[in-house]
Amino acid sequence: MANETQTQNVSVNNFEQCLKCSICTVYCPVSAVSPEYPGPKQAGPDAERYRMKNKEFFDDALKMCLNCKRCEVACPNDVHIGDIIQAARIKYNTHRPKLRDMMLANTDFVGTMASPFAAIANPILKLKPMKAILHGVMAIDKHRTFPDYSSRKFESWFKKNAASEQDKFNKHVSYFHGCYVNYNYPQLGIDFVKVMNAVGYGVHLLEKEKCCGVALIANGMPKQAKRQGEVNMTSMRKAIANGHQVLTTSSTCTFTMRDEYDHLLGIDNHDVRDSISLATRFLFQLIEKGEIKLAFREDYHKRVAYHSACHMERMGWVPYSTQLLRMILGIDFVMLESQCCGISGTYGFKKENYERSQAIGKGLFDQIKEVNPDYVATDCETCKWQIEMSAGTPVMNPISIIAEALDIEATRKLNNLD
Amino acid sequence: MKFDIIIIGGGLSGLTAGIALAEAGKDVALVSAGQSSLHFGSGSLDLLGCDEKGNDIYKPLDAIKAVNSKHQYNKLEDVSSLAGVAKQLLERAGIATTGNITSNHWRITPIGGLMPTWLSMEGMATIEDPDQMPWRKVALVNIINYLDFPTKFLASGLRDKGVEVDVKAVSLPELQKLRQSPTEMRSSNIAKVIESNELIVKLAEEVYKVAGEGYDMVLLPAVLGMTNSEKSQQLLKLIKVPARYVATLPPSVPGVRMQTMLRKRFTALGGTFFTGDQVTEGLFEDNILKGVKTAKLDGTTLEADNFILATGSFMSRGLKADYNRVYEPALGVDVDDLGLDRKTWAKIDVTDAQPYMEMGVKTDENLRCMRNGTTISNLFAVGSILSGHNSIKRLDAGGVDMLTALQVANNIIK
Repeated sequence: MANETQTQNVSVNNFEQCLKCSICTVYCPVSAVSPEYPGPKQAGPDAERYRMKNKEFFDDALKMCLNCKRCEVACPNDVHIGDIIQAARIKYNTHRPKLRDMMLANTDFVGTMASPFAAIANPILKLKPMKAILHGVMAIDKHRTFPDYSSRKFESWFKKNAASEQDKFNKHVSYFHGCYVNYNYPQLGIDFVKVMNAVGYGVHLLEKEKCCGVALIANGMPKQAKRQGEVNMTSMRKAIANGHQVLTTSSTCTFTMRDEYDHLLGIDNHDVRDSISLATRFLFQLIEKGEIKLAFREDYHKRVAYHSACHMERMGWVPYSTQLLRMILGIDFVMLESQCCGISGTYGFKKENYERSQAIGKGLFDQIKEVNPDYVATDCETCKWQIEMSAGTPVMNPISIIAEALDIEATRKLNNLD
Repeated sequence: MKFDIIIIGGGLSGLTAGIALAEAGKDVALVSAGQSSLHFGSGSLDLLGCDEKGNDIYKPLDAIKAVNSKHQYNKLEDVSSLAGVAKQLLERAGIATTGNITSNHWRITPIGGLMPTWLSMEGMATIEDPDQMPWRKVALVNIINYLDFPTKFLASGLRDKGVEVDVKAVSLPELQKLRQSPTEMRSSNIAKVIESNELIVKLAEEVYKVAGEGYDMVLLPAVLGMTNSEKSQQLLKLIKVPARYVATLPPSVPGVRMQTMLRKRFTALGGTFFTGDQVTEGLFEDNILKGVKTAKLDGTTLEADNFILATGSFMSRGLKADYNRVYEPALGVDVDDLGLDRKTWAKIDVTDAQPYMEMGVKTDENLRCMRNGTTISNLFAVGSILSGHNSIKRLDAGGVDMLTALQVANNIIK
């Protein structure tokens, strides 16, 4: 009886496990630069006790939380501090999202609208008067460089250039490309297909793909996020039934679909979760099992500094990407001290967050300038925008670096494809 | 994933072993579930502070020879040499310390006590001999509204030792902004605010204004320099009169600094850090540990020639207790529960020496763990998870952590 009581006494998000040790507060990037934010311990487990008594205790300052989860990584007692804060925002926040937040969060809709007009939209978004209008009317900060929209979506490229080739392979994976690859940077998707094909895997798109919903959660639209999540789960179940793993090239999409769907949105993903993986992790595991081999160009020499994106760190998967990059002999590898870059998806685009966002990332930008690499490697697309804008160094996904360093002919031979 | 050595636990003992092995050219990985108890550190490392009766030890080397047979110091080949190696290892990581193994010195606790200790980080207030206080008159200078530096206790403790104490307080507008969230006026946030040279100069001026004349020593809360000691040392110089730091209530800025610098050193040596992950299972074959599984790396086994368990004691979840037993949750190695009946694990008076504190994993003379009574030939344990010592009563945590870690590194390299 006594034992049962003890083992069954598990609170939501482990919040009763909090010892009040305050270690999480050391690692919060927000409270360091914004004293008006109550910090993870107070905003999370401490205030949760009050909120459970009375919802009036909900504090609007919680929207300042980046959801970086660095508090959770630091917690010695496995309290899901970030989840407690995000769940409180979903449960208690009564404000309707602003038009700007809806625009920023609906990456699918905005991307679909912008892509056909990319040639016009990209330069316009860079014009000072346009930035002033966005700043003044939409409260999107004028200092921000908008990621370019691609004139051709990744999906269109894939259908035209790659789809027909994929059935020739013996082994197959499905690819959740995400909004960034589709609307802003199809090259990463092209690189992914190139690498997978070189090791003998055919790539397939999901029957239906929606934005993972991370920006919707962050901007107070959990219902829409849940609807989109369900669509993704249905498509993925079909892919998994065909024997496919579902691979991604974005750490945040992966984290959202594996962990936040269940923790924050109440989507049942237990049968899908283990089949969603990051491409770097998938490749590393195959190499380790001896099922594939990679050969790299001998003339490839780059200094690469790896930045641990927050959600990559939370998943505990950083070593998959770094060990994979270290396999490229021509890379002079530097590990950057792990810290938040400050962008956190749409957070850093908002006028009210811009200064905070840059202050959070400052240490990282200084570090990168000191290391002076050819590329920063990171698994997160929004870190890429932030670092390229703020440190001036080109940022690449590890998959793109592998694609660049890969000796395709030799790799195909090693994998018995010729 | 395959490494030469995998260390489970990322605190002082795990990082010490990791750095020593990486310095010896080994490919080392470290798995750490959350941050370590260094975050509650004093800015000093204790070696052996008190004898069994609770009296302060002045000459630790002699006292170490006399520890009871269960103490882990008996498994060290050469305490004196390992202690020297530990100090140098810290130094190479950028952590300068004062102190040595032949004589303890004394640190000041946040509530005004004096404790015998071994190594103190540069800038910390230390006392050579507690019977002869080096200062006649001290200014205790706090930051206005900072509550984790209990000046009344501190002043009272020092006055008991015959020191005249004046309590002062200073501030800067930048620091008062921290009070916008009353809970967030913390040491670590103060450290993050006072980063620029300009603010350090201003703070030094404020301190000088209230304590610039008439004192032998100015004591300040240790709230500067989370990532290196540059800023904290700079402030001491700029104050122009003798000034030192005293540890605060948690989080401890010197402790965070030590953790950060050791981790940086480990990574710079090529060590791989698995952050925020937890070992859930060991794969044993014929009394050899082949690999470990973790909570986050599903589908991947971490393999190595040797493993080191450095997960700490009860507070760090290295040991767990339920109503019936004490156990080691990561690998299920044998625990010495001192053969005590459940009712005698703890004493009613919380200040008494608590028997459960001396529980820990069993090891052989080479600090190798056991499972079901059989020694596992490639699995070692280091630090607070080891049985046979009470770090609160004997003040030996830093020594047990670093010296057992270095001994195991030697055992593996041999």
